[in-house]
Amino acid sequence: MDLSYYRPDSLEAALDFLHEYGNHTCILAGGTDVMLDLRSGEVKKKYLMDITRIEDLKDIAMTDKKLSIGTLVTISELYGSDLIAAHAPALQQCSLTFASKQVRNAATIGGNVAHCSPCGDTIPPLLIHEARVVLASKRGSREIPVEEIAAGPYASAFAPDEMIVRFLLKPAGDMDLSTFKKIGRRKALSISRISMAAMVKKDRDSRIDFVRFSLGACTPTPRRFEEIEALMEGEKATEQLLWETGRILTDQMFKITGRRSSAIYKEPAIQGLFFRLFSPLV
Amino acid sequence: MIYETIAIRFTLNGEQHKEEILAGMSVLEMLRDILKLRGTKEGCGIGECGACTIQVDGKAVNACLMPAAQLDRREVWTIEGVGSSSHLHPVQESFLSNHAVQCGFCTPGLIMSTKALIEENSTPDHKEVVHAVSGNLCRCTGYQQILSAVENAVETCNTHNKRNK
Repeated sequence: MDLSYYRPDSLEAALDFLHEYGNHTCILAGGTDVMLDLRSGEVKKKYLMDITRIEDLKDIAMTDKKLSIGTLVTISELYGSDLIAAHAPALQQCSLTFASKQVRNAATIGGNVAHCSPCGDTIPPLLIHEARVVLASKRGSREIPVEEIAAGPYASAFAPDEMIVRFLLKPAGDMDLSTFKKIGRRKALSISRISMAAMVKKDRDSRIDFVRFSLGACTPTPRRFEEIEALMEGEKATEQLLWETGRILTDQMFKITGRRSSAIYKEPAIQGLFFRLFSPLV
Repeated sequence: MIYETIAIRFTLNGEQHKEEILAGMSVLEMLRDILKLRGTKEGCGIGECGACTIQVDGKAVNACLMPAAQLDRREVWTIEGVGSSSHLHPVQESFLSNHAVQCGFCTPGLIMSTKALIEENSTPDHKEVVHAVSGNLCRCTGYQQILSAVENAVETCNTHNKRNK
């Protein structure tokens, strides 16, 4: 089937097009995932709608105490933004190790989330900020939590006439730890095999007062582990606590995925990465 | 309007250019197959090796992962626009003098990544140099010579610029 190309210059025009042809349209932003899917024949749509010239979707701003990130912000722009550095340091860290410089210059945060890859690197940092995704369509706009964007690996849960326009994050505030770590096969390309993001605030007695933790690439969709957060809250960050909680984390993960052949590697790797993630607190 | 073929206008190596391309065609296919500019290499075709690195609006990108349609009204530089055989670009000089070229297949991509780095940041530290070229695979040199060449090129370009001020 011949592919056709459409490049709207306003959000309104894009939404009109999706309203009419959403079922047959593949949305194109940075192209770093779409071009691969085109090459492998996985895109079976009739239209390629290139949204990269919609200027309204490229801003990063603080509005109503929320950090707002436009869907077309590139990974390089995330890394270079003072607002991201100040209010979402874990997201900034993930932008430095995301694929390669060439990919970071093109790939967008919206594309990374919409592609619904279990190993999308921006998702764990978005999860710890309890990010909400603003979806727009001709029918109006709505907000959903970022964990509800994916129905499963590479399957989005939003309607064909909708598109992601921005992300709204709870800013980090004054944290004792705000971090992202991953294990990939090679540093630059490194599609994550395991990724983690966390934020921690300690109280006066240096007990963990506030904690957010998320895990990527290990479960069908990246997710926050509130059970793990609850186990850490009110505790002192000792080495024993970190190893013990890391062990419970792997138990919980295997409950979701089952013990696959990779478990023999993943179990100690996850526990080790979990320890490294929180070890600055010890 | 919806098009199966798209007419695009862009600046290529400093000159205005018009082209008709297919909707799903990559920049790499357009450069190599239509424009016959074969200095930009196809290594993996999936954004892993960086052999197809070009500059679009100054930034290093993988030509294999960018649809040609997105070049409309953009400024593109490929290796063909960098230096000439009689007058090499300082980055090219530096790759030669540091022995950073063996089989040469990755070299055009590395030159483009280095050029983009220098234009973006005239005083990169070692870590920034490593980050800038870590998307470019080389299976010959072992990278030490390449990193020396990039760091050396940064210095040369800075001296050049100071002299010209």
